[in-house]
Amino acid sequence: MSVIHRLPDLLVNQIAAGEVVERPASVLKEVLENAVDAGSRAIEVQLEQGGVRRIRVADDGCGIDRDDLALALERHATSKIATLDDLERVATMGFRGEALAAIAAVARTTITSRAAGASHAWRIDGSDRSLAPAALNNGTVVDVADLYFNTPARRKFLKSEGTEFAHCDEMFRRVALARPDLALQLSHNARVIHRLPPGTPLARVGALMGDDFVTHAREVEAESGALRLTGLASLPAYSRASRDAQYFFVNGRFVRDKLLTHAVRQAYADILHGARHPAYVLFLSIDPAGVDVNVHPAKIEVRFRDARAVHQFVFHALTRALAESGAAAAGTPAPGAAVDAEETAPAAQRPAFASPAYPPAAARQGQLAMEAASQAYYGFVGSARDTPATAPADRHMPATPPDDTQGPPLGFALGQLHGVYILAQNQAGLVLVDMHAAHERILYERLKTVLDGRPAVQRLLIPAVFGVGARDMAAAEEHGEVLAGMGFEIAPAGPQELAVRSVPALLANAPVAELVRSVLEELREFPASEVVTARRNELLATMACHGAVRANRQLTVAEMNALLREMEATERADQCNHGRPTWTQLSMQELDRFFMRGQ
Amino acid sequence: MLLLNTTRDALLAPLQSVAGIVEKRHTLPILSNVLIEKQGDTLTLLATDIEIQIRTATAGHQDGSDTAITVGARKLQDILRALPDSAAVSISLDDKRLTVKAGKSRFALQTLPAADYPRMNLPDGDVVRLTVAQRTFKRQLAQVAYSMAQQDIRYYLNGLLIIADGGELRMVATDGHRLAYAASTLDNAVAQRTEAILPRKTVLELSRQLADNDDPLEVVLAGNQVVFRFGAVELISKLIDGKFPDYERVIPQNHPNMITFDRLPLLAALQRAAILTTDKFRGVRLVLGDGSLKLISTNAEQEEAVEELEVDYHGAALDIGFNVTYLLDVLNNLSSEHVEWRFNDGNSSALITLPGNEQFKYVVMPMRI
Repeated sequence: MSVIHRLPDLLVNQIAAGEVVERPASVLKEVLENAVDAGSRAIEVQLEQGGVRRIRVADDGCGIDRDDLALALERHATSKIATLDDLERVATMGFRGEALAAIAAVARTTITSRAAGASHAWRIDGSDRSLAPAALNNGTVVDVADLYFNTPARRKFLKSEGTEFAHCDEMFRRVALARPDLALQLSHNARVIHRLPPGTPLARVGALMGDDFVTHAREVEAESGALRLTGLASLPAYSRASRDAQYFFVNGRFVRDKLLTHAVRQAYADILHGARHPAYVLFLSIDPAGVDVNVHPAKIEVRFRDARAVHQFVFHALTRALAESGAAAAGTPAPGAAVDAEETAPAAQRPAFASPAYPPAAARQGQLAMEAASQAYYGFVGSARDTPATAPADRHMPATPPDDTQGPPLGFALGQLHGVYILAQNQAGLVLVDMHAAHERILYERLKTVLDGRPAVQRLLIPAVFGVGARDMAAAEEHGEVLAGMGFEIAPAGPQELAVRSVPALLANAPVAELVRSVLEELREFPASEVVTARRNELLATMACHGAVRANRQLTVAEMNALLREMEATERADQCNHGRPTWTQLSMQELDRFFMRGQ
Repeated sequence: MLLLNTTRDALLAPLQSVAGIVEKRHTLPILSNVLIEKQGDTLTLLATDIEIQIRTATAGHQDGSDTAITVGARKLQDILRALPDSAAVSISLDDKRLTVKAGKSRFALQTLPAADYPRMNLPDGDVVRLTVAQRTFKRQLAQVAYSMAQQDIRYYLNGLLIIADGGELRMVATDGHRLAYAASTLDNAVAQRTEAILPRKTVLELSRQLADNDDPLEVVLAGNQVVFRFGAVELISKLIDGKFPDYERVIPQNHPNMITFDRLPLLAALQRAAILTTDKFRGVRLVLGDGSLKLISTNAEQEEAVEELEVDYHGAALDIGFNVTYLLDVLNNLSSEHVEWRFNDGNSSALITLPGNEQFKYVVMPMRI
């Protein structure tokens, strides 16, 4: 008697659904991505009860032919790829051809579609595959109702309506961030949540992430060969306590990739306090042949052909973008300034990463005013202590960043507060500087610049020998050159033992075995290790801290001005070595509001 | 109850030789105390940190009754030090408080019972005894002690290896980057080769306390302990239990090139060059050409120091870097007029010795700058 038999199709699809259709949000992802792949210009999403009751996605894309409708619900049927060659250079969001089949197996699914040029639309019912004529102007409507109606076990795993909706919303945001050129709308229980007109990437980011984020973020724009990184990365002052608000897109596809996360984390290592997380929206474009997206059913992880190059590119591009200190660019908000949408400089003033048009921010610009007032009395600074001019506020913003005639960004020193803070006056108002923290960062950056490049290496008289596992052994062999570049000369001393014959001179007194182990551990996972740089930087930070001016040291105005000018010239001057802000701005608006001036 | 009548100086000297090892911070309060024991006319002072114990015994204290008590070592020392030089001091014990009187000054100190004081017992087991002149031992320690590691996780490097082998006493210390070796001749050969690693603290304490004269120092090695007896002092220390690296293997035998330096001019030149080195790794380049040696250092600000010395050298040109601290250490701790410098190439170690003397060797690894 045969005990092995083929499973019925429905069961096969239900098994597949377990992987693809985890919750309403994954249904939304698949259907929404199909709509995007269909070349739509406008997509409307309607959810009911967090997507469990109904998910309806209507697009104006190319539509599906009557003859193809039945096939669309079959497993491994797709229009997106045809050959292995296509698979290797996937340009569409989906390609596996299993989503609709899986969804139809666990929910009441209907697809209504009118292919371009067809006389009328057709509707297919997922349960019995019956076709019927239907009315539709253009595009496709996918309607998924009663998710898991036939798999009650699965239904029990669903969370509350609010939670499921939040997941759907997150999924919608990912698509919306990736495709700012599409008009998108999301409604839940007949209430519109997002209505996004097509616009620039910046406008889209502002609409979805909030203007706070946009004003407190640095623009990233870098290109190297086939790699291109654009987007916005938050300044340390806008850091979060959790990892939400981190969006990384590879060729328009949202990914949560270990390698990329690591590269970003490293770029922030020097400026962000350890317990905080950055917020960012970054787009990496890369030759589709250089990345394998067929790693994970939900395609949330990718694999890069040249992981090392990608890692280094992302790391350096971000480091460069973040290095430019806010102190050097007037008009950007101070790192420690209160986060308040009404007060922060408008995004339109910043170099936009697509075009200057930015409707949401423009709508809010009416309230911003005081720049011009401060500008008016800025001219007095440096010459005399005239009474501050109280020129009436001009109701529009300077379109370009202030030029040199308006004085340096951090302004000129007024005096010292309790021997700890420097008070300075700049175009926007009052600048408060923590002089020790600022000086510390300046010295630290200077030390780092000097010591970058080939490290000094101390050879060991007695090699440090220690036992390692097979994985570390292999890592030591594979990354010999990288290790040598750091100053480690490592050779196997036995089947389970490594001998270290030289170490970086700066770390000559650190415990060798422990140091090398942590380097190898990182090299095993990621193509580059920052352990040595991090350790070295710790040392340099201590040196910088000891070298920096202490509180209660009286500084002359000339000395204070010199410090301000150095801050403007120093990279990452907005944070001290430990990630605390070095300066903050109290704008004239804030002061005026405090004293209820002109009210 | 009167304990003793004496002078400030007579009490301070022995107290200072035991109190040096008392640690400032403790979890065990009694360890910050010193044990004072009076028996007959002998006054014994004893201090310990569990690893090391120092005891001094002085005779001639007729007054007072026999007793034993412990009291805060540092406080007692500070009090005595602050008294006039030859003030008469009397110490008595009343109701668990130790009273120190000198002239019109009076101090009452709290005490802890002597019975609770931890003591190290004299070692038993296989015993090797040596006797050397204090001066010889002290000088030999000075020649190697600076090379000991400090808080290395290879704990056996945080000490000094002594080897008694036939008629020779050898000492070796290394921190993994450089190694110092010194030997001396024993008057009475030992029957059996013995090795021991002295802890860093013991070495420093001995260097501090040994006198610069020919009075004898008795060394007794037994089990995992060592006893040093000199003058009125008896120092018992635990030994580091570990395998010291094979020092003979790292001392190069066949370096082809050799230069003889006058020690003090070389030391002075290095000290000047060291001013412009980077704080944390202190690299100095030695550039050797025909008949001249240049010492070159640069620091983080790209400032540069160049020192030039005339040398009797006509071999191949060489450019080699060192941590200048390692060179200054050895030159500072030698007393000879000349030193010999042997080397091979820029990647291998350098060997520093004394002319016509096989008893001192210093090996240092280069630094690639």
